[in-house]
Amino acid sequence: MVAETRSNWTISSAKVVRLWLNRLGPLLGLFLVIATFAILIGSPERYLSLKNLRTVLSQTVIVAIGAIGMTIIIISGGIDLSVGSAIALTGVIAALGINAGWSTTVALAAGILVGGGVGFANGLAITRLRVVPFIATLGMLGVARGVAKGISGSQTVNIPDTWANDLLLTVPKRGWLLVAPGVWIAVALALVAALMLRRTVFGRRVFALGSNEAAARACGIATDRMKIYIYSLAGLMFGLAGVMQMSRLRQGDPTVAAGLELDIIAAVVIGGGSLSGGEGSILGSMIGALIMAFLRNGCQQVGWPNYIQEIIIGALIVIAVAIDRWRSSRMATA
Amino acid sequence: MRKIISVLIIMAAIVTLSCKRSGSQSGKKKITIAVIPKGTSHEFWKSIHAGSIKAARELSAQGSEVEIIWKGPLREDDREQQIQVVEGFTSQGVDGMVLAPLDDRALARPVEEAKNAGVPTVIIDSALQSPAIVSFVATDNRKGGMLAADHLGELLNGKGKVILLRYAEGSASTQDREDGFLQEIKQKYPNIQLISTDQYAGATRDTAKRASENLLNRFGDEVQGIFCPNESTTAGMLSALQDSGKAGKVIFVGFDTSQMFIDALRSKQLHGIVVQNPFNMGYLGVRTMFDSLQGKPVEKRIDTGVTMITLDDLDGAETQTLLHPPLDQYLK
Repeated sequence: MVAETRSNWTISSAKVVRLWLNRLGPLLGLFLVIATFAILIGSPERYLSLKNLRTVLSQTVIVAIGAIGMTIIIISGGIDLSVGSAIALTGVIAALGINAGWSTTVALAAGILVGGGVGFANGLAITRLRVVPFIATLGMLGVARGVAKGISGSQTVNIPDTWANDLLLTVPKRGWLLVAPGVWIAVALALVAALMLRRTVFGRRVFALGSNEAAARACGIATDRMKIYIYSLAGLMFGLAGVMQMSRLRQGDPTVAAGLELDIIAAVVIGGGSLSGGEGSILGSMIGALIMAFLRNGCQQVGWPNYIQEIIIGALIVIAVAIDRWRSSRMATA
Repeated sequence: MRKIISVLIIMAAIVTLSCKRSGSQSGKKKITIAVIPKGTSHEFWKSIHAGSIKAARELSAQGSEVEIIWKGPLREDDREQQIQVVEGFTSQGVDGMVLAPLDDRALARPVEEAKNAGVPTVIIDSALQSPAIVSFVATDNRKGGMLAADHLGELLNGKGKVILLRYAEGSASTQDREDGFLQEIKQKYPNIQLISTDQYAGATRDTAKRASENLLNRFGDEVQGIFCPNESTTAGMLSALQDSGKAGKVIFVGFDTSQMFIDALRSKQLHGIVVQNPFNMGYLGVRTMFDSLQGKPVEKRIDTGVTMITLDDLDGAETQTLLHPPLDQYLK
């Protein structure tokens, strides 16, 4: 699968078509989820109304931005469990910054940079201390959450009304935007990240690192430095997700987003990412995030209780990965 | 590829078939009210649920069909999740919402957006800092604290040394109880000496017990009366009193209810508990929302009642309904 994706300009056009169909798999799943709920709810016009789409898109932004960072990490063969805590920490930092009288731009930038710092620390632990990513970031999950609670005195940090509060308004203040400004930011970032992964040397090296680390090192890629870059870059994304979370709550909340890392990882996996590395796409992860948001929204509107929602999303993750395995094994023999 | 599609279609079919809702109820327009608690597992929220269903049944019996949709945040006590539930109901277009906000600020934006979209909200249990609400239906916590002060003052015959163990910094409802208690003691019982009022117990029973032990070490020989403003502080203080052998020797008034407190009332280790009425809160929340939807004027602040329970009236029918609301009758 990986080899074929990387050399898809050399293979026959029939294969290119099939590749694209495969890549559209998650998209098909998304349409199916939307169609199913439109029918179940009994009024497609309400489920697909601008009002509801705005709501779902705003709700997707935090997971989507997190998933951009997570996709890069997972393609490189890593994992980051500290996302939820990083979001809480960076949200608290940005809120404290605004309250300390910093300009809003500076405070938000500080939040994002602290996210990058958390990622950098993860990268150092993984490369210098030789701790596997799962454990290193599991440790950071506790550390970042603890720091967030510590600097906020375990209280929420309320912020005054600034433009930061408007980032994820479901109905944007400027009508021509149609959806919340944060949605456009997420779309732009996804485009940049997708181009970076597909078209730049750095992006190709991320895939190489995840496919076969030893081979990548043998080819002269400085794998340790790559990893530090990757975790720091993803950390910046998580910092931005934290800023978005603060904007939605209008406060820095040190207890928010506990367990969100699982939603973000699920989005990447539903979108075709492989936890063994070397596979994944930004587009797929974005669709994965949308599938989960539409599922939640749909389950609520149909009137299903929370437990059914959890069961469906759990089952969906397994089914999505199973289909992916089955697909790639067929591709290998085709 | 075809196989993938067929697998997905089968999935969709399963989901469709497992859906039991049938849109057969037509005729008169049904009013849909969403009730959103902070969590769903605690007894307190079950009582609110039962109360809201009682209101819906009464109203339906009177000829206006009311449907209650009960939905808490996916993760208990998670603000972001509760916001998503409010936003979901807003775009779903329910007729009104009854919300127990997890935070007095974080939930303000979604409630205001709901109002702009034509979905009004009644707030229950905890306050919301927003003018965009129909009414605030909740326990009068100040009154609860004053009730405790009066009971303690009477049992001590208006004199003695009293400790107030506070709950946690930044909790508005318990702060009101503490303020009400202190104000009433100072005004009505000038001969009662408040020997400690500045200690915070923290969020859990465990931290409350530690704070209580410290207080009892310092003031154990002189203290004659104690007030604790919620469940965890009362439980922590009670077990600290029991451990140190002082239980029953000090007049002790607590807040909220649990089986442990009932037992302590019977063994005279606890001399009174102030209880709220969550069942009534759910009931009045829905009634208020309904009245407002009918265009009737409603009060901006509605008290759902606080009651002092002592050993004397513990077995009365009224107290028993308060302590054990008829949940099965409504939630089955």
